[in-house]
Amino acid sequence: MLVAMALALAPVTQAPPAQSSRVLDAGELRRVCLDLLGRPPLAEERARWIGQPAEATLVAITESRGFWAQWLDEQLWYFLLVDQFAPRGDSVLRLPEALEAGEVDVRDAVHRLALAPNFDQRNPGADTFVTVVMEQLCGLSVDKQRRELEFGKKMYDGAQTRFLGGEGRTQSDVVKLAVQSEGFARHYLAREHERLAHAKADPRALAQWTKRFHKDPREYPLLVREWLSGESLERRLATRRPISNRVWARSLHVDLMGAEPTREQTEPMRQALDSLADPAPLRSVMARLLLDGGKAVIEPVGSDRSAWVRAQWLRVLGREPRADELTAVADALAQPACRVETVLYALVTSEEAASY
Amino acid sequence: MKPDAHSVYTRRLVLQGAVAGAAGLCLTSSHLNGLALPTVPERKTKRVVLVAFAGGVRTKETFGKPDNVPNLMRISERGVLYTRARSANLGHYGAALSIFTGIAEQRGIRENSRGNDPTVFELVRKELGLAGNDVWITTAGGAQQVNYSHSVHPDYGARFGATTLDGDGVFNREFRALLERYGRPREWSQGEKDALTQVRRAMSGGGTDAEQRRANSERVEQWILSELTRGTAEMTGANAADAKALRLARNLVTLFKPKLTAVVLQEADMAHGNYGGYVEVVRRNDAAIGELWTAIQADPELAATTALVVVPEFGRDRDLNSRRGLDHGDGSDDLNYVTCLCAGPDFQRGLVVKDEVGVVDVAPTVCDLLGAKGRGGRKLPQLYS
Repeated sequence: MLVAMALALAPVTQAPPAQSSRVLDAGELRRVCLDLLGRPPLAEERARWIGQPAEATLVAITESRGFWAQWLDEQLWYFLLVDQFAPRGDSVLRLPEALEAGEVDVRDAVHRLALAPNFDQRNPGADTFVTVVMEQLCGLSVDKQRRELEFGKKMYDGAQTRFLGGEGRTQSDVVKLAVQSEGFARHYLAREHERLAHAKADPRALAQWTKRFHKDPREYPLLVREWLSGESLERRLATRRPISNRVWARSLHVDLMGAEPTREQTEPMRQALDSLADPAPLRSVMARLLLDGGKAVIEPVGSDRSAWVRAQWLRVLGREPRADELTAVADALAQPACRVETVLYALVTSEEAASY
Repeated sequence: MKPDAHSVYTRRLVLQGAVAGAAGLCLTSSHLNGLALPTVPERKTKRVVLVAFAGGVRTKETFGKPDNVPNLMRISERGVLYTRARSANLGHYGAALSIFTGIAEQRGIRENSRGNDPTVFELVRKELGLAGNDVWITTAGGAQQVNYSHSVHPDYGARFGATTLDGDGVFNREFRALLERYGRPREWSQGEKDALTQVRRAMSGGGTDAEQRRANSERVEQWILSELTRGTAEMTGANAADAKALRLARNLVTLFKPKLTAVVLQEADMAHGNYGGYVEVVRRNDAAIGELWTAIQADPELAATTALVVVPEFGRDRDLNSRRGLDHGDGSDDLNYVTCLCAGPDFQRGLVVKDEVGVVDVAPTVCDLLGAKGRGGRKLPQLYS
């Protein structure tokens, strides 16, 4: 009791950073959040995490519901369980909560995804279903594994047989054997590493991670932190890649509305954006919708235009404006026809904002 | 009695013989070698509309049963039917991509990434110097299909890609509701546009390429906003996504008159669990292709210069599955061979070619029609009149 009281009364301070600890600046934090949370940091997160040790920030993020929600979103995209094939049942939609609470691990979660009715609808028939299980779950090439495919199809159709090294006789056995295989662990980690570290995994390191994960899938969040620390983090931050439409739609809301959007707000946007190979024209329409519709939460310029420009550049691009940018934008803002919306529109639709 | 595809063809005017074949061969060779023989007239074809009748469509339900496809039958009288076009592989994505690359593309069935080989869109844009608005694809199948626009080939890629639009993704009720919720973008004054240009130039450093990309983007933006008022978003029914893709193509062809317009259909794949629905999709898509063809013929310039190619990416199994649907994995001829239709001002009329050709022959043929060499490869034989 005394201990509890003492803890409750103790000032809320964060542990001092270790000597060697790497801290994240605004741009780096934005990019890490886009990868792990699928959106830029909110104002309070920027205040909490900028300049803090990267390790502590990564722990906070990977233990959050948002991290698991983003994880689920990425898995649904990987299996193309989107649009009319998006899951509707609680067994899948509750996964972020269950993962956050440690009720399930990621292997259980993928297993659950592959047993959901929408997975079956997405992949109808023995040939398609088993092909997808082999390719997407285990990273196998069915063209090189025709025999295994045929065994899997027989099992799917109810015959007692062997598939991926195990015995079974049902469609759900096909999934179970795939998810329990070491090939699943290897393929899952390879694709997750590529997604989060923006690089192909070193084969020797991948073999070690596979062993750890195959033994205990709860290692996954620890692996994520390893992938985003030390040299691996520096390599990731040295590269940029295009921002996906779903992350762009969420970012647009955070950048212009200052709050995390609901799925209902971003899904129609994302779906429309995904309809174009080059989404720039529609991104432009959407930015104008938010800005012209008076829905954006915009900080007023005030008397110091340069300070306003700096703040917007840091917030949206994660960097200070160059001197020539600062001069040109401050000049533009001095013109009566130029609104703050005009500048924000240029920012969120810039080529720089289209990658991270 | 089941209708036999060949019994249908025998009722049509079948131009047999070496004369037509030799004439076609002569034209093709002369074009390939650039010999410009005085007897060879210049091609009339300036535009191509390529419909990937994808989702897995057997000949049995199309040209094997003319009642299902009266429009395709009508159009085929103005062109050439290849009744044994071998499909490239059996996943929808890779097989449809093969139509556009001319190379059998081994892709994962749910692989959501671009191909390595340049598409016909990139080939013609690069070689002929075409703008983005000269080459379009409209699609019906969601996430994977925008990947058809361009490859990741280092010499080609996005800068030569087709302007690609998935009709069902934009022109739907949800997106319209979004527009209504936020209101339409307001018109900007010239002063505001100038200020925007100033900010953008400061950010990007200006440059002709960036300006051109933005100008192209603005044209597409305007077109999308105007198309949203035309009722495409309200289309419903078994083939709604396919119908939107075809309707967008029809509007694009008649408004912009692009050099190359491709359409990728997908709804026929409901055949896995619903044979009747699949046949209904075939019928409705036939009607929509008929409308597209009619729109082309109604414009004298388009009628005189536009070729239409319709080809499925592959067929479907020979027999129904346990759900009374049709899968695609039995390796039968019904699956592996499809019928390819080509109609246009330069083609022979009413000819049926029963020799084996490849679905992958379509891309080199399209390049040739538009006057591009592309990457070579076999072209559809006996095509030209």
